[in-house]
Amino acid sequence: MALTGRTGLLAALGAIVVLSAPQPGIAVLGVLALLTALVVADLLLAGSVRPLRLERSGERRVRLGDTVEVTLTVTNPGPRRVRGLIRDAWSPSTRALPRQQPLDVPAGERRRVVTVLAPSRRGDRESAVVTVRSVGPLGLAARQGSHAVPWTIRVLPPFLSRSHLPAKLSRLRELEGRHPVLIRGQGTEFDSLREYVVGDDVRSIDWRATARRNDVVVRTWRPERDRRVLIVLDTSRTSAGRVGVDPASGDPSGWPRLDWSMDAALLLAALAARAGDRVDFLAHDRTVRAWVSGASRTELLSVMVNAMAPIEAELIEADSEGMVAAIMARAAHRCLVVLLTDLNPAALEEGLLPVLPQLASRHLVLLAAVSDPRVAAMAEGRDTAEQVYDAAAAEHLRGARRRMTARLRRHGVEVVDALPDQIAPALADAYLALKAAGRL
Amino acid sequence: MSLDPSASQPGPGPAADTLASPPASGVPAASAAEAGPAPASAPTSPRVRDSWRRARGVFGVLGIMVALAAVTVLIASPRPGGRLDPEATTPVGAHALAQLLRDQGVEIRPARTVEEAGELATPDSLLLVGRTEFLADGLLMAELAEVPGDRLLVEPVTQALQALAPGVSAGALTDVESREPGCDLPAALRAGTAVTGGVSYNGPAGSRSCYGGSVIVFNAAGRQITVVGSSDFMTNERLAADGNAALAMNLAGARPAVVWLVPTLPQTGGAQEQGEATLTDLIPSGVGWAALQLFIAVVLVAVWRARRLGPVVPERLPVVVRAAETVEGRGRLYRSRRARDRAAAALRAAALDRIIPRLGLTGDATPAGVVAAVAMRTPLDSHQAGALLYGAAPDDDAGLVALARHLDILERQVRDS
Repeated sequence: MALTGRTGLLAALGAIVVLSAPQPGIAVLGVLALLTALVVADLLLAGSVRPLRLERSGERRVRLGDTVEVTLTVTNPGPRRVRGLIRDAWSPSTRALPRQQPLDVPAGERRRVVTVLAPSRRGDRESAVVTVRSVGPLGLAARQGSHAVPWTIRVLPPFLSRSHLPAKLSRLRELEGRHPVLIRGQGTEFDSLREYVVGDDVRSIDWRATARRNDVVVRTWRPERDRRVLIVLDTSRTSAGRVGVDPASGDPSGWPRLDWSMDAALLLAALAARAGDRVDFLAHDRTVRAWVSGASRTELLSVMVNAMAPIEAELIEADSEGMVAAIMARAAHRCLVVLLTDLNPAALEEGLLPVLPQLASRHLVLLAAVSDPRVAAMAEGRDTAEQVYDAAAAEHLRGARRRMTARLRRHGVEVVDALPDQIAPALADAYLALKAAGRL
Repeated sequence: MSLDPSASQPGPGPAADTLASPPASGVPAASAAEAGPAPASAPTSPRVRDSWRRARGVFGVLGIMVALAAVTVLIASPRPGGRLDPEATTPVGAHALAQLLRDQGVEIRPARTVEEAGELATPDSLLLVGRTEFLADGLLMAELAEVPGDRLLVEPVTQALQALAPGVSAGALTDVESREPGCDLPAALRAGTAVTGGVSYNGPAGSRSCYGGSVIVFNAAGRQITVVGSSDFMTNERLAADGNAALAMNLAGARPAVVWLVPTLPQTGGAQEQGEATLTDLIPSGVGWAALQLFIAVVLVAVWRARRLGPVVPERLPVVVRAAETVEGRGRLYRSRRARDRAAAALRAAALDRIIPRLGLTGDATPAGVVAAVAMRTPLDSHQAGALLYGAAPDDDAGLVALARHLDILERQVRDS
């Protein structure tokens, strides 16, 4: 039950009656009794909330940054009109609007109520509860009740770096060539034989084939295909740190490293799928959080965003040994292992470095880390002594990262260390460079 | 949930068949359970009778507790009140005496004010006056002197003595102890020994003085006036001792009614009250009730505003950790400890890391080699370059800032050379 402002107004007007009444004490009681009677009558006459039937329809998935409409159909099977307010409650980060809206469902009819969600956070968002307030015909009091109408919206990673995809694809085509190339180099495999035309490199003439036919035949080559790429996402505590500016909400406290890493992973997956490589995806901290394998090229991206959506950074130390074991168990053949983690010297020293040789002996390892623009900005400070101290601290960290990068490179690990908005294209470039060099 | 037939609403209803099932394609196995037909709604608010059923036990227990507490208070605890208050059950109260008198058929008429005493008194009643220090006002005393009937003055102050028992004067102060009557007053003789004392009085001619002067009885202007020097024998505490009860009942129960005037607060003269009406007296009584009505209105508005449309929705939010926090913390540590040596070393190492590749040297170059190369490519001589790149830590913060700037300049010169 709930009261409305009208009840308060009526009680306030009752003060005038009391003031002019000959027996004010009795008048107070009378006004109170009248109000109570009216409120009770209104409650009895209001449409019942309990038998209402509510059903949902609409989208179940939305990309972070987009809006999604959820439709609620309210059916009133009762004998009285239900008039009042309805609130479709979602968790705060879904930013559901309007917060509440008017509702008027005559007896035996149904109405649609549309709520627009603009989620500010990745993951699965469940609807909390739907509350209906049914005001009586006098507008003095209302019945109120809640219904659970379950619905889940999965908020997918936004894949902001898709704007880089056309440029990287054109680089890939350049590399691959729409036409088979004549120069045999590293990272190429035999494509086909064709007739010699003037201008072809004489060194690519296939003499054995020429001998079998009357024409001179040359061999053509193309970049290698059907390599394996395993993208490994570290979801441990180092991925929870926030860097840069949250592109979804503009929050200056930043976006977790995990989300930047996911963005880079999606661009790499899209590029590798187009390049004809097979992409697998693993998310790991102390256990396997997600595992995508054997997805076809066309649906790889949708399967990956779906697997990524509910992953949150866990505030636990990564289990590098377990991660390497999981990679070894899943990747039987040599592949490119792209480790998306942080170049945190202390964490790497104790975690990854001891087990890295084991991994690097079988696979090609590419470690990608998001660096912090705030640290870069701090390193530039020269105005006051305080800023210079901060700059020294920033240089201390950057020096440690440089030394760690050098050590990793000595282990044969490729390292990409880039600012948040640069990491996706930088990782794609590193992949293309490896592909061009035929190191996959 | 939607798979459970008991959870679904009975009957498809007019709307159910027209509603399309939600798009479930592309939802992976993790959320496959949510896919399928539109989930049925289920009311979560409790019914009124359910909430009543749940709450009635609590209300019952609360009611029993309140009732028990009320009964206990009414029965067991002493009713508070001042000395000689006919309703007070404290040791200094006089509830026992009043009750004894009532049992003997004497009517007790408690009066709070002098005015009230005047209204209650009749010619055949006895006026019992105690705590006269609260009545020390000439006008009040004059008003009290007009009250008809016999008088029993208990520990009167001088002013009261003069006004209500003319001719009696207070004498020496004596101990309160058990005494013989020592007079021929029937009331005292029947009572025998009693705990009396306090002020001893000298009565006028024709008065009878008992218990060493602490009880004086005389007739004046057609009424009997009794003055008692100590009220102890009338209190609940002492009433049972000696002949106290008998004496008190003989003195106070001589008439069919007792007007019991024992004020608990200082009284003011009636004339003053009439002259000055306060602001509250001038406001009509309806205003107070109207204010009450407005208060009710405010409460109703508060109830209106306080009622939420549905519960607060909680959400588990990820922790917000800015990645740069550790670096900022290290910077603050440097600052608070004035760690110029470490700060300078970090800045120099960073500058060297950037300069050495530009000089065409490798990472294992010796300081002397670096300094020589820098001196060749920049206007600095080898001493200056050596002091800048490998010198001692600066002595103060200004020196540190200068070092940082010089390193910047050096880097630029190497880059541009």
